[in-house]
Amino acid sequence: MTFQLGYGTNGFANHRLDDALAVIADLGYTAVALTLDHHHLDPFAGDVGKQTDRLAARLHELGLRVVVETGARYLLDPRRKHHPTLVSEDQAVRVDFLVRAKQIALDLGADCVSFWSGVGSADDWDHLRSGVAAVLESGPAVPMGLEPEPGMVVQWLDQALRLRTELGNPEELRITLDVGHCVAVEPQDAAACIRQAGELLVNVQLDDMLPGVHEHLEFGEGQLDLPATLAALTGIGYTGVAAVELPRHSHAAPDVAVRALRALRAAQWLAEAERAVRADPGAIDTLFPAAGRAVGAGQDAARVRLLTAFADVSGDPVDGLTRLYRYGTSAERRGVLRGLAEVGDLAPAAGVALVEDALRSNETDLVAAALGPFATRHLGRHAWRHGVLKCLFMGIPLTVVDGLDRHADAELLRMVAAFSDERRAAGRPVPADALALLGKAS
Amino acid sequence: MRIFDPHIHMTSRTTDDYEAMRDAGVRALVEPAFWLGQPRTSVGSFVDYFDSLLGWERFRAAQFGIAHHCALALNPKEANDPRCTEVLDVLPRYLAKDGVVAVGEVGYDSMTPEEDDAFARQLELALRHDLPVLVHTPHRDKQEGTKRTLDVVRESGLAPHRVLVDHLNEITVKMVADAGCWMGFSVYPDTKMDEARMVALLAEYGTERMLVNSAADWGRSDPLKTHKTGLAMLDAGFGESEVDTVLWHNPVEFYGQSGRLALEPAAAGVVDAATGSSVLRGER
Repeated sequence: MTFQLGYGTNGFANHRLDDALAVIADLGYTAVALTLDHHHLDPFAGDVGKQTDRLAARLHELGLRVVVETGARYLLDPRRKHHPTLVSEDQAVRVDFLVRAKQIALDLGADCVSFWSGVGSADDWDHLRSGVAAVLESGPAVPMGLEPEPGMVVQWLDQALRLRTELGNPEELRITLDVGHCVAVEPQDAAACIRQAGELLVNVQLDDMLPGVHEHLEFGEGQLDLPATLAALTGIGYTGVAAVELPRHSHAAPDVAVRALRALRAAQWLAEAERAVRADPGAIDTLFPAAGRAVGAGQDAARVRLLTAFADVSGDPVDGLTRLYRYGTSAERRGVLRGLAEVGDLAPAAGVALVEDALRSNETDLVAAALGPFATRHLGRHAWRHGVLKCLFMGIPLTVVDGLDRHADAELLRMVAAFSDERRAAGRPVPADALALLGKAS
Repeated sequence: MRIFDPHIHMTSRTTDDYEAMRDAGVRALVEPAFWLGQPRTSVGSFVDYFDSLLGWERFRAAQFGIAHHCALALNPKEANDPRCTEVLDVLPRYLAKDGVVAVGEVGYDSMTPEEDDAFARQLELALRHDLPVLVHTPHRDKQEGTKRTLDVVRESGLAPHRVLVDHLNEITVKMVADAGCWMGFSVYPDTKMDEARMVALLAEYGTERMLVNSAADWGRSDPLKTHKTGLAMLDAGFGESEVDTVLWHNPVEFYGQSGRLALEPAAAGVVDAATGSSVLRGER
C-alpha cells in the first residue's frame, strides 16, 4: 500500500464543504485535509456532533480518507489572524480548540489532528511545551501531527523532534510535514526531511515554494523536486495522506486542483520510471518514449532526468544515448539533445555527432535544442556559428542559443552581417535578433 | 465542417495540399504506413520512413494547424519481400511511440502465405501494444480478400470494435457491418468510392462505425474528398451533426481507443506565429 493523494479544504474556502468534497473526489483525489473553520464544520457550533456524524457518512460515501487541520485564520479571534496560539498568554483557548478537534477527528475516523506552534520567540519554548502537554493529556487519544511552520517558534523539523524528545517521546505526538516549507526554510531538501521524520510522519502537505519565501505555490512554480519528494515518501513506506496545501488559491480552486493532480501523477510516474531505470537500465527503451504521454508539458525535463539516471547505472551510456536518439521521435530526440547538457560530457564525440545530426534537420525545436550548453562546450566553432545562422534563417529566436554573448566572435558577426545584406538586397526584413547581435558588437 | 481524415498519405503531398485541407476544415489526420510506389529493398528504408511519419511529417502538419498521427506496419505488398519482412522485429520499438494510434495498413494484397504470416503477427503486436488496427482490403479479388480478412481478425482474438476494415464498397460493406468492425471508405476521383455512392451507402447503413477518408497518396487522388463527401451528405439531406459524426466523431472514437490521440497539434516549432516569441522563452 502506498500513500493517498488528497486536497486541503482551505484551498476551497469559497465552496460549501459538501461541494468542495464532491469536486475533490470527482477529480480523483482519495483523501482530504479538512481545515475546521467557521463555515467548514465549525467546532463551536451547538450541533457539531450531529454535523460531524453527517460528514463522516459523506466522506465514507465519497471514499475520502481524512486528516483534520487546525490552521483556520479567524476562527478563534475575528481580529487577529491565527490568534491565540500555543505560545500566547491565553493559550488555553487554543488548547480547548485542539481538544475539540481531537474529538472531531475521532468521530470522523481521521488519521490525525495537525497543529502548529505559533509566532513568538525562543523564550516561549517552555510555555509551548506545557501547552502541547496539555493538549496531549486532554480529550481522546488521537495522533497529533506537529507541523514546523516558517516564522513560528517551531519552524524546523529539528525543533519539532526536540520538543517531542523533551516531552518524553509521547506515542501520540507525531510530525506533519509541509514539503514546501522544507524548500523555504529547512537546511535540507524535502526528501531528506521526509527520511529524517521517518515513521513519526503522520501527515504530509504538498505544495511548491521558493527558498526563503513562505508563499504556497502550485507545483512547478517553485524549486521543490516533486518526483524525488514522492519517491522519498514511498521509500520510507509512508501510507498516510499527502494533501495539496494551497490556501491562497481558493478563487480558482477546481482548476488549480486539476493542475495539481496532473502534476502529482506525472511526478509519480517519473519517480517510478527513474527507480525502474536505476534497477534496470534497459527499461529506458520503453520509458523514454512513454514520457510524452505520461508527463505531457514537462516531458523534456522528465526525459533529461531519465537520461541522468540511465547514465549513472548503464554500462554503456554512449551506446544507449545514441540508440535513443536514432530510434527517437522528434520529441525524444529533443529530450536526448537537452540531456546532453547533463550527461553529454561522458562522451563528447558521440554527443557532438547527435548535435550535428540535429543541426542538419529542418525541425525548429531540434535545431533549438541542439544549441544548448553541451554545444557551447564541445561543438566545433564553425558548426556552432552555422547553427546560430540557421536559427536566423528559420526564425528561431537567438535566446535559445546558450552562451551567445560570450561566444559570438568576429567570424559569426561577419556571417550575420552578410546574411543581413542579402536580406536587404532581396527587399526582405532583417530579423530583429540579427540586428541586435550586430548592434551589440558595434 | 471539422474534418479528421482517418487515412491519408501526406508524405506524398505538397504544402498546397496542407493549406487547402486546413481551409476545408481538416484539423486532424492519420497517416498509415504503406507502399511507396517504388519498392523498398531494406529494413533501413522502413525505419527512415517510420521516423519521417513520427518526425518531419508531424512537424510539417503542425505548421498548418493539423494534428498528425500515424499507423505503423509492414504493408501487405512488401510482406512478400524477404528483404523487408525483418522490419517486423523493429516494429515493437516504434509501436510504443507517441503519435502512433494504430497498427496499419495490414491485410492482404495477393493473399499469399507470406501475407498470412505478416498479417497474423501484426495483429498479435496490436494486441500486445493495446492499439487498434487499420486493415487494407485488396484491390484484386476484394470480396474474397475481405472475407478472409474477417476470418483472420476473428481468430486473432482482437475485439471487432478495435478493427477498421478499409477501402470497402457496395459489395464488401455488409459482411464488415455484420462482423462488428468499423467500416472505412476511400473516396477517389475515379477508382474506389465516389461521393454520390458514398452518400447512398450512408443512407442505407447509417452513420454508426462509418469512416470516410481520402486515402490521398502519390497516385491520382484528392485530399479534399472528405470535405466533398461532407458537402454531398448535406446536399442529400443529412444534418450537420451526422456529417460531424462521420467526419470527426467516428475517427476520434476509433483511434481514441489507442489513448494517444492529441487533437491539439504540437506547437509548430519554437516560434509562436502570433506573437513572434519563442515558446521556449521563460525556460531559461
